[in-house]
Amino acid sequence: MNKIMAMVRKELIDAARDKRSVMAGLYYAIGTPLIMCGLFMVLIGQLTSPDDLKITITNPDKAPDLVRFLSNKGINSGEAKDSELKAIELIISTDYAAQMNQGKGAEITIVADNSNEKLQNSIRRLEKQLQSYSTEMGSLRLIARGIDPRVMQPLKVNVHDQATSDSKGGMILGIAIFTMIYSVFISGMNLAIDTSAGERERNSLALLLSHPLTTRQLVLSKIIAVSLFALLGLVLILLVSKIAYTFVPWQELGFSVNITTEFMALMLVVGIPVALMAACLQLFVSFMAKTFKEAQSYLTMVLFVPLALSMAASYNIAPDMLQWLPVSGQQQALMDFIKGKDLPMLQLLVSTLGTLAIAVLLAFGMERSLKSEKVIFGL
Amino acid sequence: MIDSMTHRKLSKTAQRPSPTRPRHGATNATWCTRILSTRMLSISALMLAMASTTTWASDVKSQQTQAADIARNMANNTDTCYVEGVSDRLNCGFVTVPENPNKPDGKQIQVHYVVLPAVKNVNHEEALLAIAGGPGQSAIDNATGFDAMLSKVRQQRDILLIDQRGTGRSNLLTCDEGAQSPLSFDDDNADTLAETQKCLAKIDADVTQYGSLNAIKDFEAVRQHLGYKKLHVYGISYGTRMAQLYMRLYPAHLATVTLDGIVPMQQSVLEIGASIDRGFDLLFKDCQETTACHAQFPELKAEFDQVAASLAKAPVMENVYDPVTGEKTMLTMTRGKFYGSIRMALYQANVRALVPHAIHQAAKHNFQPILGLYSLTIDNAGMAMGMHASVVCGEDMHRITPAMREQAQHSFMGKTMLEGLEATCEVWKVPAVDDSFSEPISSDIPTLLLSGEIDPATPPSWGELAMEKLTNAKHFVAPYATHGVAYQSCANNLIADLVRSGSVKDLDGECLKKDVRRSFYLNASSVEPLDATGTKTITTDDNASTGAKE
Repeated sequence: MNKIMAMVRKELIDAARDKRSVMAGLYYAIGTPLIMCGLFMVLIGQLTSPDDLKITITNPDKAPDLVRFLSNKGINSGEAKDSELKAIELIISTDYAAQMNQGKGAEITIVADNSNEKLQNSIRRLEKQLQSYSTEMGSLRLIARGIDPRVMQPLKVNVHDQATSDSKGGMILGIAIFTMIYSVFISGMNLAIDTSAGERERNSLALLLSHPLTTRQLVLSKIIAVSLFALLGLVLILLVSKIAYTFVPWQELGFSVNITTEFMALMLVVGIPVALMAACLQLFVSFMAKTFKEAQSYLTMVLFVPLALSMAASYNIAPDMLQWLPVSGQQQALMDFIKGKDLPMLQLLVSTLGTLAIAVLLAFGMERSLKSEKVIFGL
Repeated sequence: MIDSMTHRKLSKTAQRPSPTRPRHGATNATWCTRILSTRMLSISALMLAMASTTTWASDVKSQQTQAADIARNMANNTDTCYVEGVSDRLNCGFVTVPENPNKPDGKQIQVHYVVLPAVKNVNHEEALLAIAGGPGQSAIDNATGFDAMLSKVRQQRDILLIDQRGTGRSNLLTCDEGAQSPLSFDDDNADTLAETQKCLAKIDADVTQYGSLNAIKDFEAVRQHLGYKKLHVYGISYGTRMAQLYMRLYPAHLATVTLDGIVPMQQSVLEIGASIDRGFDLLFKDCQETTACHAQFPELKAEFDQVAASLAKAPVMENVYDPVTGEKTMLTMTRGKFYGSIRMALYQANVRALVPHAIHQAAKHNFQPILGLYSLTIDNAGMAMGMHASVVCGEDMHRITPAMREQAQHSFMGKTMLEGLEATCEVWKVPAVDDSFSEPISSDIPTLLLSGEIDPATPPSWGELAMEKLTNAKHFVAPYATHGVAYQSCANNLIADLVRSGSVKDLDGECLKKDVRRSFYLNASSVEPLDATGTKTITTDDNASTGAKE
């Protein structure tokens, strides 16, 4: 045991020496939440229709009441050179007053590009307000004819929305959890390559093995060192996320995103087996590679598998199967937790055991392969 | 006396709709059950209420005037519930309080509340308490309107709605009985005394215990039950009296206060007759000053007086189609119904726009538009008339001076309302509150006061009166708003600012000056004059001459 501790210390000192390459992994943990929050802030600004929506209104003098109504709802006619002017045009027909006087539908036309995401909310808002103006006038026309406007509402639809304001943010949180799991893989990756393929290239691997040390001890100490780094990355991204996510005005989209302490604790516990598996996987692949560079390119490809699982889970692709698999199972459990649902204990257990099983298999594989000279000398 | 232990057990009974609250079944039976309250409304109800409850055909929001169903989520055995018109999951519950605080072991009643949870709760120790008007409206039944109006506040804070004792789900005191259709009913010759006695006999409650002072204790009990340290209060109409009482009795628990459509403590609400007349006069003036309206209805005031005078002689009886069922029925158009329909139409800017046309048509003996407006008032805006009487008889009746009585004789609305309520109070027998009740509120709590210039219930001068001893308050008058300024202007943003900053210092009422008027209807279909451009003056003159010939 002492030997393992000494080895772990050696690995960590080694890692600390090559600050740049190792820190590159941790930069991810710090940077991702910040960049994501920045992006979301910009996105929210673009998606939500501005308080004061400026559009082009043609022939406003044909329907002064409608124009005033829209203006009261924050939809105004803007100047052509105004930078806030949205590319939406509302054309009021020249026959508007005549058609209205005859009790017919008075014509108005909306000219806008519906495929433009930035405009969609504003277009919908305009349509909604026109609809409510139209409904209101229709009701008053009925009243003027002595009919109760409620007869126009044969169906009364009640919606009982089961979502909470936390679960409405599920999609965002799915992405947040994805970045956290990703950080477990990324943070330790450089160290994993350095301590295996790198060690071999520096010819210090053979030297290490010449010490009175079993391969198992060597493998274990390397796994522990890499896992520690991976968990360090996870702790960092959790702390940064907790602070950064509070600055995004989620409530403007009608939901909240809350990284609670309970969630952080659960994420950390769930993250430990994932970190172990990530370390084993990365070390295994690196040992199999002949050179440092080769290890880098293999790893990028191999890492795609767990990340694809995580991604699929956060986008809710095939949830029934994914909830039993490693990585995606944990991710789904975390998402359920944050949505306030009961934790799917069985699924979480199965996927965690699966994760650990893979880790153990890989560790054994490594132990065996390190007995071969081919691997040790990269022949 | 908060009883949270029996909470869940008792909540089963709470989900049953109260049998005394008829639903809008659009059947004749439904119409009939409402007759007494209808009569009381058109004659004497103060309607210090939100009229914004009228909803439109196929409006997205459902009808707020209907009793909102609280469907408790019994499966999960939680306090989660839904209120009609709000799709979100809400938290519901009630506190149990003694009906008479002096008899803590006597009859117990439940005071129900609903919390609209904040989207992103930044302060769990604060909430906004929204108080409904009436007296007699249910805050929970008006959840849709509060939710929409306070959406910005709700982004960061819970919204708390309490059914004041005697309203909604909190031991409702209502008078639904009688067999006559509200359409054919002759309210000018009604026996208020007898009807009120019948109503009182059916109410199983000590009606003297349903005044504002007991109710404010209930509110405070709910606050303690829910554990909020501070409340922001929004009161509308009669709700402003409750808000002011809260300021007087529990100032330490208030962060900010918004009074919208203000009833100052010094004011007996029975003086509303003068406010109503002022509302009518402002309508005639508005129409006269609007080119298109004046051109179309040049003699509006004269036409109104003419119809009122002729109805005073004898009501118009004619066969009409029922506004809801479409069946042939008898309409008795009385002066009271005529006044009442127009009065209620003045509460909402968009319905108000139809009034000149309706008066003009009535002058031409076409009562269809008035019938349409009248049908909007039949559901009584969901007011609990028993509770209404308990409040008014205890807190306002004794304040009537001979001068007020004299003045009321000159106004049809003032006179009928006074007579109606006097008869009601004679039966209700509620002891008068202390004189200290009517003292102005002296407070330094940040307070925002909102008045609408064309308000037919609480004119801006009442707001000024409320300001008398408020040292940290701002009073804004919205020039184009009717009753309930926050529902028809940017004032809801001002409330959000006030709640966020906790101070009235930076509030700027400039945005209230925005022209939010609605054009008057020129016929049964259109608000736009046929000649909106260029040759306006010439052709409107033509219209005027044709209008006059009609």
